[in-house]
Amino acid sequence: MKAFTQIPPGTQILIGRAARRRRVLERVICSVFEGWSYEEIIPPIFDYYDVFIKGMGTGPEEQIYRFIDREGNILALRPEFTSLVAKTVATRLASAPRPIRLFYSGEVLRFEKPKGGRQREFAQIGIEHYGGIGKTSDVEVLLIAVEAFQRLGVPAFQINLGSVDFFGGIVDRMELPAGQIGELKDILNVKDQSGLEALLETLPLGDRRKEILRAIPHLTGGRAIIEEARQLVRNPRSVEALDHLEHIYSIFERFDLAQHLTIDLGEIRGFDYYTGILFRAYVRDLGFEVASGGRYDGLPSAFGEDLPAVGFSFSLDRLEQMVTPALSMPDPDAISIDADNGFEQALQHRRLGKAVKLCL
Amino acid sequence: MLVIALCKGRYLEPSLSMLSRANIRFPEDVASSRKLIFDSEDKRFRAVLVKPADVPTYVEYGAADVGVAGRDVIMESRADLLQPLDLNFGHCRIAVAGPEGAHSINGSDHPTVRVATKYPRITLDYYNTRGIPVEIIALSGSIELAPLIGLADRIVDLVETGRTLKENGLEIVEIIAESSARLLVNRAGYQTKREEVLGMIHALEKVVQCESSI
Repeated sequence: MKAFTQIPPGTQILIGRAARRRRVLERVICSVFEGWSYEEIIPPIFDYYDVFIKGMGTGPEEQIYRFIDREGNILALRPEFTSLVAKTVATRLASAPRPIRLFYSGEVLRFEKPKGGRQREFAQIGIEHYGGIGKTSDVEVLLIAVEAFQRLGVPAFQINLGSVDFFGGIVDRMELPAGQIGELKDILNVKDQSGLEALLETLPLGDRRKEILRAIPHLTGGRAIIEEARQLVRNPRSVEALDHLEHIYSIFERFDLAQHLTIDLGEIRGFDYYTGILFRAYVRDLGFEVASGGRYDGLPSAFGEDLPAVGFSFSLDRLEQMVTPALSMPDPDAISIDADNGFEQALQHRRLGKAVKLCL
Repeated sequence: MLVIALCKGRYLEPSLSMLSRANIRFPEDVASSRKLIFDSEDKRFRAVLVKPADVPTYVEYGAADVGVAGRDVIMESRADLLQPLDLNFGHCRIAVAGPEGAHSINGSDHPTVRVATKYPRITLDYYNTRGIPVEIIALSGSIELAPLIGLADRIVDLVETGRTLKENGLEIVEIIAESSARLLVNRAGYQTKREEVLGMIHALEKVVQCESSI
Protein backbone atom coordinates (compact mmCIF):
# COMPACT_ATOMS: atom_id res chain seq x y z
CA MET A 1 0.00 0.00 0.00
CA LYS A 2 1.29 3.40 -1.09
CA ALA A 3 0.61 5.13 2.23
CA PHE A 4 2.88 2.77 4.11
CA THR A 5 5.96 3.08 1.97
CA GLN A 6 5.86 6.40 0.14
CA ILE A 7 5.91 9.93 1.50
CA PRO A 8 3.57 12.62 0.13
CA PRO A 9 5.38 15.09 -2.15
CA GLY A 10 6.53 18.16 -0.27
CA THR A 11 7.34 16.51 3.04
CA GLN A 12 10.72 15.59 4.46
CA ILE A 13 12.19 13.82 7.44
CA LEU A 14 15.23 15.05 9.35
CA ILE A 15 17.31 12.43 11.07
CA GLY A 16 20.48 12.51 13.15
CA ARG A 17 22.97 15.05 11.92
CA ALA A 18 20.37 16.87 9.79
CA ALA A 19 18.07 17.22 12.80
CA ARG A 20 20.95 18.38 15.00
CA ARG A 21 21.86 20.98 12.42
CA ARG A 22 18.29 22.30 12.49
CA ARG A 23 18.27 22.53 16.28
CA VAL A 24 21.66 24.24 16.46
CA LEU A 25 20.55 26.83 13.93
CA GLU A 26 17.34 27.35 15.86
CA ARG A 27 19.20 27.73 19.16
CA VAL A 28 21.73 30.22 17.79
CA ILE A 29 19.05 32.36 16.19
CA CYS A 30 16.70 32.17 19.20
CA SER A 31 19.51 33.30 21.48
CA VAL A 32 20.03 36.37 19.28
CA PHE A 33 16.30 37.17 19.41
CA GLU A 34 16.23 36.69 23.18
CA GLY A 35 19.32 38.85 23.46
CA TRP A 36 17.27 41.72 22.00
CA SER A 37 14.41 41.06 24.45
CA TYR A 38 12.04 39.27 22.11
CA GLU A 39 9.70 36.80 23.78
CA GLU A 40 8.65 33.56 22.24
CA ILE A 41 5.14 33.01 20.96
CA ILE A 42 3.94 29.54 20.03
CA PRO A 43 0.82 30.04 17.91
CA PRO A 44 -1.50 27.24 16.78
CA ILE A 45 -0.70 25.29 13.63
CA PHE A 46 -4.18 25.98 12.24
CA ASP A 47 -6.62 28.84 12.40
CA TYR A 48 -9.55 30.20 10.40
CA TYR A 49 -8.76 30.45 6.71
CA ASP A 50 -9.79 34.12 6.61
CA VAL A 51 -6.98 35.04 9.01
CA PHE A 52 -4.39 34.04 6.45
CA ILE A 53 -6.23 35.64 3.54
CA LYS A 54 -5.98 38.94 5.43
CA GLY A 55 -2.28 38.36 5.73
CA MET A 56 -1.21 36.91 2.44
CA GLY A 57 -3.72 38.68 0.27
CA THR A 58 -5.14 37.27 -2.90
CA GLY A 59 -2.80 35.43 -5.20
CA PRO A 60 -0.89 33.15 -2.87
CA GLU A 61 -4.24 32.02 -1.41
CA GLU A 62 -4.25 28.96 -3.62
CA GLN A 63 -1.11 27.82 -1.80
CA ILE A 64 -2.99 27.51 1.48
CA TYR A 65 -3.90 24.05 2.76
CA ARG A 66 -7.49 24.41 3.92
CA PHE A 67 -10.03 22.08 5.38
CA ILE A 68 -13.48 22.15 6.88
CA ASP A 69 -14.10 21.27 10.52
CA ARG A 70 -17.15 19.41 11.81
CA GLU A 71 -19.09 22.65 12.30
CA GLY A 72 -18.51 23.73 8.73
CA ASN A 73 -15.86 26.38 9.45
CA ILE A 74 -13.12 26.77 6.87
CA LEU A 75 -9.78 26.31 8.59
CA ALA A 76 -6.26 26.40 7.24
CA LEU A 77 -2.83 25.11 8.18
CA ARG A 78 -0.62 28.13 8.75
CA PRO A 79 1.20 29.23 5.56
CA GLU A 80 3.13 31.90 7.51
CA PHE A 81 3.31 33.31 11.04
CA THR A 82 2.84 37.03 10.56
CA SER A 83 -0.96 37.03 10.28
CA LEU A 84 -1.31 34.72 13.27
CA VAL A 85 0.91 36.92 15.39
CA ALA A 86 -0.84 40.09 14.21
CA LYS A 87 -4.19 38.62 15.21
CA THR A 88 -2.85 37.65 18.64
CA VAL A 89 -1.36 41.09 19.20
CA ALA A 90 -4.64 42.77 18.23
CA THR A 91 -6.68 40.53 20.53
CA ARG A 92 -4.95 38.80 23.46
CA LEU A 93 -2.23 41.43 23.70
CA ALA A 94 -4.39 44.47 22.93
CA SER A 95 -3.65 46.04 26.31
CA ALA A 96 -0.04 44.87 26.67
CA PRO A 97 2.58 47.64 27.01
CA ARG A 98 4.14 48.75 23.73
CA PRO A 99 6.31 47.96 21.97
CA ILE A 100 5.57 44.26 21.76
CA ARG A 101 8.52 42.11 20.70
CA LEU A 102 7.83 38.49 19.76
CA PHE A 103 9.69 35.68 18.05
CA TYR A 104 8.46 32.35 16.71
CA SER A 105 9.95 29.18 15.30
CA GLY A 106 8.09 26.38 13.59
CA GLU A 107 6.73 24.77 10.48
CA VAL A 108 4.51 26.42 7.90
CA LEU A 109 2.78 24.78 4.96
CA ARG A 110 2.28 26.00 1.43
CA PHE A 111 1.17 24.09 -1.60
CA GLU A 112 3.97 25.22 -3.91
CA LYS A 113 6.68 23.63 -5.97
CA PRO A 114 9.45 22.39 -3.65
CA LYS A 115 12.44 24.51 -4.57
CA GLY A 116 15.87 25.39 -3.32
CA GLY A 117 15.78 22.87 -0.50
CA ARG A 118 12.40 24.06 0.70
CA GLN A 119 9.55 21.56 0.74
CA ARG A 120 5.81 22.25 1.04
CA GLU A 121 6.25 21.96 4.78
CA PHE A 122 9.16 24.15 5.81
CA ALA A 123 10.57 25.80 8.91
CA GLN A 124 10.55 29.51 9.59
CA ILE A 125 12.07 31.39 12.48
CA GLY A 126 11.49 35.10 12.84
CA ILE A 127 10.53 38.17 14.81
CA GLU A 128 7.65 40.62 14.95
CA HIS A 129 7.96 44.11 16.40
CA TYR A 130 4.67 45.88 17.14
CA GLY A 131 3.89 49.39 18.25
CA GLY A 132 7.40 50.78 17.99
CA ILE A 133 8.54 53.98 16.34
CA GLY A 134 8.92 53.24 12.64
CA LYS A 135 12.40 54.59 12.11
CA THR A 136 13.96 52.97 15.12
CA SER A 137 12.24 49.61 14.94
CA ASP A 138 13.20 49.15 11.27
CA VAL A 139 16.83 49.59 12.21
CA GLU A 140 16.50 47.31 15.23
CA VAL A 141 15.07 44.50 13.13
CA LEU A 142 17.77 44.83 10.47
CA LEU A 143 20.56 44.83 13.04
CA ILE A 144 19.11 41.67 14.57
CA ALA A 145 19.20 39.96 11.18
CA VAL A 146 22.84 41.02 10.79
CA GLU A 147 23.75 39.69 14.22
CA ALA A 148 22.12 36.35 13.46
CA PHE A 149 24.24 35.98 10.32
CA GLN A 150 27.35 36.93 12.26
CA ARG A 151 26.66 34.45 15.06
CA LEU A 152 26.11 31.74 12.49
CA GLY A 153 29.51 32.57 11.09
CA VAL A 154 28.29 33.57 7.63
CA PRO A 155 30.94 35.86 6.16
CA ALA A 156 29.29 36.81 2.86
CA PHE A 157 25.68 37.78 3.45
CA GLN A 158 23.89 40.54 1.63
CA ILE A 159 20.71 42.36 2.62
CA ASN A 160 18.78 43.85 -0.27
CA LEU A 161 16.66 46.71 1.07
CA GLY A 162 13.85 48.48 -0.76
CA SER A 163 10.70 50.40 0.07
CA VAL A 164 7.21 50.09 -1.34
CA ASP A 165 6.78 53.82 -0.70
CA PHE A 166 9.37 54.95 -3.23
CA PHE A 167 7.56 53.20 -6.08
CA GLY A 168 4.16 53.86 -4.47
CA GLY A 169 4.78 57.61 -4.37
CA ILE A 170 5.67 57.58 -8.06
CA VAL A 171 2.68 55.63 -9.31
CA ASP A 172 0.21 57.34 -6.94
CA ARG A 173 0.38 60.39 -9.15
CA MET A 174 0.15 58.59 -12.45
CA GLU A 175 -3.43 57.45 -11.92
CA LEU A 176 -2.97 54.21 -13.79
CA PRO A 177 -5.55 51.41 -13.63
CA ALA A 178 -4.68 48.62 -11.18
CA GLY A 179 -4.05 46.14 -14.00
CA GLN A 180 -1.33 48.30 -15.51
CA ILE A 181 0.30 48.92 -12.15
CA GLY A 182 0.41 45.16 -11.67
CA GLU A 183 2.00 44.72 -15.08
CA LEU A 184 4.52 47.46 -14.31
CA LYS A 185 5.42 45.79 -11.01
CA ASP A 186 5.89 42.41 -12.68
CA ILE A 187 8.27 43.93 -15.20
CA LEU A 188 10.24 45.93 -12.63
CA ASN A 189 10.51 42.87 -10.41
CA VAL A 190 12.52 41.06 -13.06
CA LYS A 191 14.34 44.22 -14.21
CA ASP A 192 13.13 43.57 -17.76
CA GLN A 193 14.21 46.69 -19.65
CA SER A 194 12.81 45.77 -23.03
CA GLY A 195 9.50 44.72 -21.49
CA LEU A 196 9.39 48.07 -19.71
CA GLU A 197 10.03 49.92 -22.99
CA ALA A 198 7.17 48.04 -24.65
CA LEU A 199 4.80 48.79 -21.77
CA LEU A 200 5.79 52.48 -21.60
CA GLU A 201 4.78 52.90 -25.21
CA THR A 202 1.22 51.99 -24.30
CA LEU A 203 1.00 54.17 -21.16
CA PRO A 204 -0.43 57.70 -21.33
CA LEU A 205 2.50 59.29 -19.48
CA GLY A 206 4.72 62.29 -20.12
CA ASP A 207 8.40 61.88 -20.99
CA ARG A 208 9.59 62.86 -17.56
CA ARG A 209 7.46 60.23 -15.84
CA LYS A 210 8.62 57.60 -18.28
CA GLU A 211 12.23 58.58 -17.52
CA ILE A 212 11.59 57.96 -13.83
CA LEU A 213 10.14 54.50 -14.45
CA ARG A 214 13.04 53.65 -16.78
CA ALA A 215 15.50 54.50 -14.04
CA ILE A 216 13.95 52.26 -11.37
CA PRO A 217 15.58 48.92 -12.37
CA HIS A 218 19.00 50.59 -12.17
CA LEU A 219 18.48 52.19 -8.78
CA THR A 220 20.39 49.57 -6.87
CA GLY A 221 23.62 50.06 -4.99
CA GLY A 222 24.93 52.15 -2.10
CA ARG A 223 24.57 55.73 -0.94
CA ALA A 224 25.08 57.11 -4.45
CA ILE A 225 21.85 55.45 -5.56
CA ILE A 226 19.85 57.37 -2.97
CA GLU A 227 21.32 60.61 -4.28
CA GLU A 228 20.53 59.60 -7.84
CA ALA A 229 16.95 58.78 -6.87
CA ARG A 230 16.57 62.17 -5.19
CA GLN A 231 17.12 63.86 -8.53
CA LEU A 232 14.11 61.98 -9.91
CA VAL A 233 11.34 62.47 -7.39
CA ARG A 234 9.68 65.35 -5.56
CA ASN A 235 6.53 63.73 -4.19
CA PRO A 236 6.56 63.56 -0.37
CA ARG A 237 5.94 59.80 -0.13
CA SER A 238 8.95 58.86 -2.25
CA VAL A 239 11.15 61.52 -0.68
CA GLU A 240 10.32 60.31 2.81
CA ALA A 241 11.13 56.76 1.75
CA LEU A 242 14.54 57.94 0.52
CA ASP A 243 15.20 59.86 3.75
CA HIS A 244 14.42 56.75 5.70
CA LEU A 245 16.62 54.48 3.59
CA GLU A 246 19.43 56.98 3.88
CA HIS A 247 19.02 57.02 7.65
CA ILE A 248 19.30 53.22 7.74
CA TYR A 249 22.27 53.26 5.39
CA SER A 250 24.07 55.81 7.58
CA ILE A 251 23.64 53.61 10.61
CA PHE A 252 25.05 50.63 8.73
CA GLU A 253 28.00 52.81 7.69
CA ARG A 254 28.55 53.94 11.24
CA PHE A 255 28.85 50.33 12.44
CA ASP A 256 30.96 49.31 9.49
CA LEU A 257 28.22 47.10 8.06
CA ALA A 258 27.46 48.95 4.83
CA GLN A 259 29.18 46.27 2.76
CA HIS A 260 26.32 43.95 3.72
CA LEU A 261 23.57 46.34 2.65
CA THR A 262 22.35 47.13 -0.86
CA ILE A 263 19.63 49.65 -1.51
CA ASP A 264 17.36 48.40 -4.29
CA LEU A 265 14.53 50.75 -5.20
CA GLY A 266 13.27 48.25 -7.76
CA GLU A 267 12.66 45.73 -4.98
CA ILE A 268 8.86 45.78 -4.65
CA ARG A 269 8.05 42.07 -4.55
CA GLY A 270 6.22 40.41 -1.71
CA PHE A 271 2.92 39.96 0.06
CA ASP A 272 0.33 42.70 -0.33
CA TYR A 273 0.67 43.60 3.33
CA TYR A 274 4.01 45.42 3.09
CA THR A 275 3.72 49.17 3.69
CA GLY A 276 7.25 50.53 4.14
CA ILE A 277 10.68 48.97 3.93
CA LEU A 278 11.03 45.46 2.65
CA PHE A 279 14.14 43.34 2.40
CA ARG A 280 15.55 39.97 1.45
CA ALA A 281 18.83 38.43 2.50
CA TYR A 282 21.14 36.26 0.46
CA VAL A 283 24.32 34.35 1.22
CA ARG A 284 27.06 33.61 -1.27
CA ASP A 285 26.67 30.40 -3.27
CA LEU A 286 23.05 29.76 -2.35
CA GLY A 287 20.72 30.51 -5.26
CA PHE A 288 17.69 31.42 -3.16
CA GLU A 289 17.00 34.05 -0.52
CA VAL A 290 17.44 32.87 3.07
CA ALA A 291 15.47 35.59 4.85
CA SER A 292 12.82 38.15 4.02
CA GLY A 293 10.78 40.73 5.83
CA GLY A 294 9.59 44.29 6.01
CA ARG A 295 7.05 46.69 7.46
CA TYR A 296 3.31 46.00 7.47
CA ASP A 297 1.56 48.75 9.38
CA GLY A 298 -1.85 47.93 7.94
CA LEU A 299 -1.93 44.34 9.07
CA PRO A 300 -2.82 44.62 12.79
CA SER A 301 -5.64 47.05 11.95
CA ALA A 302 -7.18 44.32 9.81
CA PHE A 303 -7.66 42.53 13.14
CA GLY A 304 -8.95 45.61 14.96
CA GLU A 305 -5.85 47.23 16.45
CA ASP A 306 -4.06 50.03 14.65
CA LEU A 307 -0.36 49.43 15.28
CA PRO A 308 2.84 49.86 13.34
CA ALA A 309 4.54 46.53 12.69
CA VAL A 310 7.80 45.27 11.26
CA GLY A 311 9.46 41.85 11.17
CA PHE A 312 11.25 39.20 9.18
CA SER A 313 11.86 35.49 9.08
CA PHE A 314 14.68 33.14 8.19
CA SER A 315 14.08 30.02 6.15
CA LEU A 316 15.76 27.30 8.19
CA ASP A 317 15.65 24.75 5.37
CA ARG A 318 17.77 27.07 3.27
CA LEU A 319 20.15 28.18 6.02
CA GLU A 320 20.83 24.50 6.68
CA GLN A 321 22.52 24.25 3.31
CA MET A 322 25.22 26.73 4.31
CA VAL A 323 28.64 25.50 5.20
CA THR A 324 29.93 27.38 8.20
CA PRO A 325 32.02 26.32 11.21
CA ALA A 326 29.04 26.94 13.49
CA LEU A 327 27.11 24.37 11.51
CA SER A 328 29.69 21.63 11.16
CA MET A 329 28.10 18.89 13.19
CA PRO A 330 30.61 16.46 14.67
CA ASP A 331 29.07 13.21 15.92
CA PRO A 332 28.65 13.43 19.69
CA ASP A 333 31.48 11.92 21.76
CA ALA A 334 30.02 9.17 23.93
CA ILE A 335 31.79 6.76 26.29
CA SER A 336 31.08 3.18 25.22
CA ILE A 337 30.06 0.95 28.11
CA ASP A 338 29.41 -2.76 28.09
CA ALA A 339 25.69 -3.14 28.77
CA ASP A 340 26.04 -6.25 30.89
CA ASN A 341 26.22 -4.92 34.44
CA GLY A 342 27.32 -1.58 33.02
CA PHE A 343 24.43 0.49 34.33
CA GLU A 344 26.25 1.55 37.46
CA GLN A 345 29.12 2.88 35.39
CA ALA A 346 26.72 4.54 32.99
CA LEU A 347 24.82 6.30 35.76
CA GLN A 348 28.08 7.51 37.25
CA HIS A 349 29.11 9.10 33.94
CA ARG A 350 25.68 10.56 33.49
CA ARG A 351 25.83 12.21 36.91
CA LEU A 352 28.97 13.95 35.70
CA GLY A 353 27.11 15.03 32.61
CA LYS A 354 29.02 12.82 30.19
CA ALA A 355 27.46 11.12 27.19
CA VAL A 356 27.35 7.32 27.30
CA LYS A 357 26.50 4.63 24.81
CA LEU A 358 25.55 1.18 25.99
CA CYS A 359 27.00 -1.60 23.83
CA LEU A 360 24.84 -4.67 23.54
CA MET B 1 34.20 33.00 -11.23
CA LEU B 2 30.81 33.53 -12.90
CA VAL B 3 29.06 30.51 -14.37
CA ILE B 4 27.14 31.17 -17.60
CA ALA B 5 24.50 28.70 -18.85
CA LEU B 6 24.32 28.66 -22.64
CA CYS B 7 21.86 26.87 -24.92
CA LYS B 8 23.08 24.15 -27.15
CA GLY B 9 21.77 24.58 -30.68
CA ARG B 10 21.02 27.63 -32.77
CA TYR B 11 21.53 30.15 -29.95
CA LEU B 12 25.05 28.95 -29.19
CA GLU B 13 26.95 30.63 -32.00
CA PRO B 14 25.38 34.11 -31.59
CA SER B 15 25.70 33.85 -27.80
CA LEU B 16 29.41 33.05 -28.00
CA SER B 17 30.07 35.77 -30.52
CA MET B 18 28.27 38.34 -28.41
CA LEU B 19 30.19 37.27 -25.31
CA SER B 20 33.47 37.46 -27.17
CA ARG B 21 32.70 41.03 -28.24
CA ALA B 22 32.17 41.76 -24.55
CA ASN B 23 35.67 40.35 -23.95
CA ILE B 24 34.44 37.05 -22.56
CA ARG B 25 36.28 34.57 -24.75
CA PHE B 26 35.95 30.81 -24.71
CA PRO B 27 38.13 28.31 -26.60
CA GLU B 28 37.20 27.93 -30.24
CA ASP B 29 36.03 24.36 -30.01
CA VAL B 30 33.04 25.06 -27.73
CA ALA B 31 30.54 24.55 -30.54
CA SER B 32 32.16 21.40 -31.94
CA SER B 33 33.41 19.69 -28.78
CA ARG B 34 31.40 17.19 -26.77
CA LYS B 35 32.54 18.69 -23.50
CA LEU B 36 29.88 20.50 -21.50
CA ILE B 37 32.03 22.81 -19.38
CA PHE B 38 34.49 25.42 -20.68
CA ASP B 39 36.52 28.06 -18.90
CA SER B 40 37.15 31.44 -20.48
CA GLU B 41 40.70 32.35 -21.45
CA ASP B 42 41.10 34.63 -18.42
CA LYS B 43 39.42 32.09 -16.09
CA ARG B 44 36.91 34.69 -14.95
CA PHE B 45 33.97 32.87 -16.53
CA ARG B 46 32.83 29.31 -16.98
CA ALA B 47 30.34 28.30 -19.66
CA VAL B 48 28.09 25.28 -19.24
CA LEU B 49 26.15 23.96 -22.22
CA VAL B 50 22.60 22.80 -21.52
CA LYS B 51 19.35 22.19 -23.36
CA PRO B 52 17.55 25.49 -24.12
CA ALA B 53 14.55 24.65 -21.93
CA ASP B 54 16.87 23.94 -18.99
CA VAL B 55 18.69 27.28 -18.95
CA PRO B 56 16.13 29.03 -16.68
CA THR B 57 16.31 26.12 -14.23
CA TYR B 58 20.11 26.26 -13.96
CA VAL B 59 19.94 29.99 -13.34
CA GLU B 60 16.97 29.94 -10.96
CA TYR B 61 18.72 27.42 -8.72
CA GLY B 62 21.98 29.34 -8.85
CA ALA B 63 23.89 26.42 -10.42
CA ALA B 64 24.67 29.04 -13.06
CA ASP B 65 24.84 32.71 -12.07
CA VAL B 66 23.68 33.96 -15.46
CA GLY B 67 22.32 32.43 -18.64
CA VAL B 68 21.16 33.14 -22.16
CA ALA B 69 17.74 31.88 -23.25
CA GLY B 70 14.82 32.86 -25.44
CA ARG B 71 11.92 34.71 -23.88
CA ASP B 72 9.64 31.86 -25.00
CA VAL B 73 11.59 29.42 -22.85
CA ILE B 74 11.61 31.80 -19.88
CA MET B 75 7.85 32.39 -20.08
CA GLU B 76 7.18 28.68 -20.29
CA SER B 77 9.48 27.88 -17.35
CA ARG B 78 7.90 30.43 -14.96
CA ALA B 79 11.29 30.51 -13.25
CA ASP B 80 11.82 33.31 -10.74
CA LEU B 81 14.83 35.24 -11.99
CA LEU B 82 16.00 38.61 -13.25
CA GLN B 83 16.03 39.31 -16.98
CA PRO B 84 17.82 42.62 -17.22
CA LEU B 85 18.91 42.59 -20.84
CA ASP B 86 17.41 41.91 -24.28
CA LEU B 87 20.35 40.58 -26.32
CA ASN B 88 18.54 41.48 -29.50
CA PHE B 89 19.09 38.30 -31.50
CA GLY B 90 16.96 35.23 -32.10
CA HIS B 91 13.88 37.33 -32.82
CA CYS B 92 10.67 35.42 -33.33
CA ARG B 93 7.05 35.35 -32.18
CA ILE B 94 5.03 32.98 -30.07
CA ALA B 95 1.79 32.72 -31.98
CA VAL B 96 -1.48 30.86 -32.30
CA ALA B 97 -1.75 29.43 -35.81
CA GLY B 98 -4.41 27.49 -37.66
CA PRO B 99 -5.35 26.35 -41.14
CA GLU B 100 -5.47 29.14 -43.75
CA GLY B 101 -8.65 31.12 -43.38
CA ALA B 102 -8.94 30.46 -39.65
CA HIS B 103 -9.62 33.86 -38.16
CA SER B 104 -10.02 33.11 -34.50
CA ILE B 105 -8.18 31.26 -31.77
CA ASN B 106 -11.40 29.29 -31.27
CA GLY B 107 -11.64 25.93 -33.03
CA SER B 108 -14.57 24.78 -35.08
CA ASP B 109 -17.86 23.86 -33.39
CA HIS B 110 -16.19 22.04 -30.54
CA PRO B 111 -16.91 23.61 -27.16
CA THR B 112 -13.24 22.98 -26.35
CA VAL B 113 -10.36 24.03 -28.59
CA ARG B 114 -7.69 21.41 -29.04
CA VAL B 115 -4.29 23.08 -29.24
CA ALA B 116 -1.03 21.29 -30.01
CA THR B 117 2.11 22.94 -28.63
CA LYS B 118 5.56 22.74 -27.12
CA TYR B 119 4.43 25.50 -24.72
CA PRO B 120 1.63 24.03 -22.59
CA ARG B 121 1.81 26.69 -19.87
CA ILE B 122 1.88 29.68 -22.19
CA THR B 123 -1.00 28.19 -24.14
CA LEU B 124 -3.08 27.42 -21.08
CA ASP B 125 -2.56 30.93 -19.67
CA TYR B 126 -3.43 32.54 -22.98
CA TYR B 127 -6.68 30.64 -23.44
CA ASN B 128 -7.61 30.83 -19.75
CA THR B 129 -7.35 34.61 -19.63
CA ARG B 130 -9.72 34.73 -22.60
CA GLY B 131 -12.17 32.36 -20.98
CA ILE B 132 -11.93 29.82 -23.79
CA PRO B 133 -11.96 26.15 -22.78
CA VAL B 134 -8.86 24.46 -24.13
CA GLU B 135 -7.40 20.98 -24.33
CA ILE B 136 -3.63 21.09 -24.53
CA ILE B 137 -1.91 18.46 -26.62
CA ALA B 138 1.74 18.58 -25.62
CA LEU B 139 4.14 17.66 -28.44
CA SER B 140 7.88 18.01 -28.66
CA GLY B 141 8.33 18.67 -32.39
CA SER B 142 6.69 18.94 -35.84
CA ILE B 143 3.85 20.89 -34.27
CA GLU B 144 2.63 22.05 -37.71
CA LEU B 145 1.58 18.54 -38.48
CA ALA B 146 -1.11 18.38 -35.79
CA PRO B 147 -3.85 20.45 -37.47
CA LEU B 148 -3.16 18.81 -40.84
CA ILE B 149 -4.09 15.35 -39.73
CA GLY B 150 -6.83 16.20 -37.29
CA LEU B 151 -4.90 15.95 -34.02
CA ALA B 152 -5.59 19.59 -33.11
CA ASP B 153 -7.59 22.64 -34.18
CA ARG B 154 -4.85 25.18 -33.53
CA ILE B 155 -1.18 25.20 -32.64
CA VAL B 156 0.87 27.53 -30.43
CA ASP B 157 4.40 27.68 -31.69
CA LEU B 158 7.46 29.81 -32.32
CA VAL B 159 7.27 31.60 -35.68
CA GLU B 160 10.40 33.09 -37.17
CA THR B 161 9.71 33.84 -40.85
CA GLY B 162 6.37 32.07 -41.19
CA ARG B 163 7.69 29.90 -44.02
CA THR B 164 7.18 26.56 -42.31
CA LEU B 165 3.60 27.56 -41.52
CA LYS B 166 2.95 28.63 -45.09
CA GLU B 167 4.40 25.51 -46.60
CA ASN B 168 2.05 23.48 -44.44
CA GLY B 169 -1.01 25.52 -45.28
CA LEU B 170 -1.15 27.28 -41.92
CA GLU B 171 -1.19 30.94 -40.92
CA ILE B 172 -0.86 33.05 -37.81
CA VAL B 173 -4.16 33.82 -36.08
CA GLU B 174 -2.91 35.81 -33.11
CA ILE B 175 0.47 36.76 -31.70
CA ILE B 176 0.90 35.91 -28.03
CA ALA B 177 4.30 37.51 -27.46
CA GLU B 178 7.47 38.68 -29.14
CA SER B 179 10.54 36.67 -28.22
CA SER B 180 14.29 37.20 -28.45
CA ALA B 181 17.38 36.11 -26.56
CA ARG B 182 17.57 37.42 -22.99
CA LEU B 183 20.27 37.56 -20.38
CA LEU B 184 19.05 35.87 -17.18
CA VAL B 185 20.50 36.47 -13.74
CA ASN B 186 20.01 34.53 -10.53
CA ARG B 187 18.49 36.77 -7.86
CA ALA B 188 20.94 35.78 -5.14
CA GLY B 189 23.95 36.04 -7.45
CA TYR B 190 22.87 39.53 -8.45
CA GLN B 191 23.32 40.51 -4.80
CA THR B 192 26.24 38.39 -3.65
CA LYS B 193 28.39 38.63 -6.81
CA ARG B 194 27.29 42.10 -7.60
CA GLU B 195 30.40 43.60 -9.19
CA GLU B 196 31.02 40.66 -11.48
CA VAL B 197 27.38 40.43 -12.55
CA LEU B 198 26.92 44.17 -13.12
CA GLY B 199 30.23 44.31 -14.99
CA MET B 200 29.03 41.61 -17.34
CA ILE B 201 25.62 43.23 -17.87
CA HIS B 202 27.22 46.56 -18.72
CA ALA B 203 29.70 44.99 -21.11
CA LEU B 204 26.94 43.14 -22.96
CA GLU B 205 24.72 46.21 -22.92
CA LYS B 206 27.41 48.12 -24.79
CA VAL B 207 27.70 45.38 -27.39
CA VAL B 208 23.92 45.34 -27.92
CA GLN B 209 23.74 49.13 -28.23
CA CYS B 210 26.67 49.17 -30.59
CA GLU B 211 25.03 46.62 -32.85
CA SER B 212 21.60 48.14 -32.92
CA SER B 213 23.08 51.49 -33.91
CA ILE B 214 24.76 50.02 -36.99
